[in-house]
Amino acid sequence: MTSTSWSTMLVVTVNAILFHAMPRFSRPDILFAVTVPEAFVAGAGRTLVSRYRAIVWSGAAAALAISVLLPTPEPGSGRGAWLMTGVVAGNMMVALAAWLLAHRRARAYAIPPSDVRVASLVPRDTSLPGGALLAVGPFVILLATALLMYTYRDNLPDGPGTITSFLALGGIYVAMMLTMAVSLARRTRQIAVDGPAAAAEQRFRRVNVLVLVLVAYGVAVQLSATTVASIPAFSDTLTGGLGFVLLPLMLFNFGVTFWMFRVGQGGQRAVAPAARQEFHGDATPDRAWKVGGLFYFNPRDPAVWVENRVGVGYTLNIGNLRAWLLMIGMMLAPMIAALLLF
Amino acid sequence: MAGALRVSLDLDSPTPAYRQIANDLRRHLVDERLKPGDLLPPVRQLAVDLGVHFNTVALAYRMLADEGWLELKRRRGAAVIARNAPRAVDRRQADRLLRRLAQIAAELRSVGMTSRQISSALRRLAQGARP
Repeated sequence: MTSTSWSTMLVVTVNAILFHAMPRFSRPDILFAVTVPEAFVAGAGRTLVSRYRAIVWSGAAAALAISVLLPTPEPGSGRGAWLMTGVVAGNMMVALAAWLLAHRRARAYAIPPSDVRVASLVPRDTSLPGGALLAVGPFVILLATALLMYTYRDNLPDGPGTITSFLALGGIYVAMMLTMAVSLARRTRQIAVDGPAAAAEQRFRRVNVLVLVLVAYGVAVQLSATTVASIPAFSDTLTGGLGFVLLPLMLFNFGVTFWMFRVGQGGQRAVAPAARQEFHGDATPDRAWKVGGLFYFNPRDPAVWVENRVGVGYTLNIGNLRAWLLMIGMMLAPMIAALLLF
Repeated sequence: MAGALRVSLDLDSPTPAYRQIANDLRRHLVDERLKPGDLLPPVRQLAVDLGVHFNTVALAYRMLADEGWLELKRRRGAAVIARNAPRAVDRRQADRLLRRLAQIAAELRSVGMTSRQISSALRRLAQGARP
């Protein structure tokens, strides 16, 4: 077997595991992106989940068999990469089709949306974890790198121009991450009104915001290290040193993913059933979720971010103008910066 | 501020959303569950939580500010202030509300409640009980 076959098998297996776990991430009363009674999830809904998983794993088994049984392409022909892409894409399509089928079946058991909405009158903490001090950290790292590069400007093979642009682009990425973090902290609906369920939901949101702040740190550290490595005096030291910084960040991200799997969407699986909110679902109407719950489109909802129904974390309300401004800003800012700087 | 302070909104109700929000808030203010110095959530936060337009919440806050309950703070929501009490009764306002009450009393009688039951319920409500 070639390395391409092994890579294909790894991707297919990881994909199957993710799709297998997907129903587990949802809130306890949401199944396949549909708001259903919690009793249904624990009862008849399990049959739906079993059938869905059977299709996912059958697709994965077929993809694995194809990647093993097909003849090994000649090295350098480029067919290996095509084969891998085809097998992985096919496997992904089967898994998505399984999800869409299960979603359609679950809709027969959907709970009609409630006309009553309830909110807490207690102001909640919408600040960034660690406050402004932690948020300026990535900018300080980039600025310190720029100063260091300025000091060693005579030792740079390509001159300081490109490197300054590189760091400025890093600054834009960091600003984007922090904008997303602020937006997520402030423009997300609090679903559980009070008690342990609300506390768990707020903790869950803050961890998500913290992840974005730490991603900003990761970007700043990575760019700074790459830049500083161009100075011969630092290149050897950085090779080993960078791992000490990035490894904890990676471990933290793995830890967070595992934690999210355990506590589920909005942290609600960690809350005792009796202490959960008295209203069903995530305060978004099922009809506003499109393509099996992948996209949320609700122009009448002022929330920019809502909880994902497929997977864990948050997604943008693509019916909201502010969400579009955020998305367009995210896409355009680095492109314009790259055009101007390089 | 005590916990479990909530505001609710019934989308199926004929009462406008801003009035429902203001009514709920006023009930907490009259019951002194919201006290002078307490902060209310920013307009945008409450609007997102209730899934209504920002102006709906802003209108409710402004209504209560006009009644002397709240001080509006730009981008920071609103703070409960000490209301100059007792205020002289605004006869026009009181007459308008009493007319509404008379309509409600008639509706209650038409659904089968006796005058005694209505009086007793009104007394309980005036003392701060929930319906």
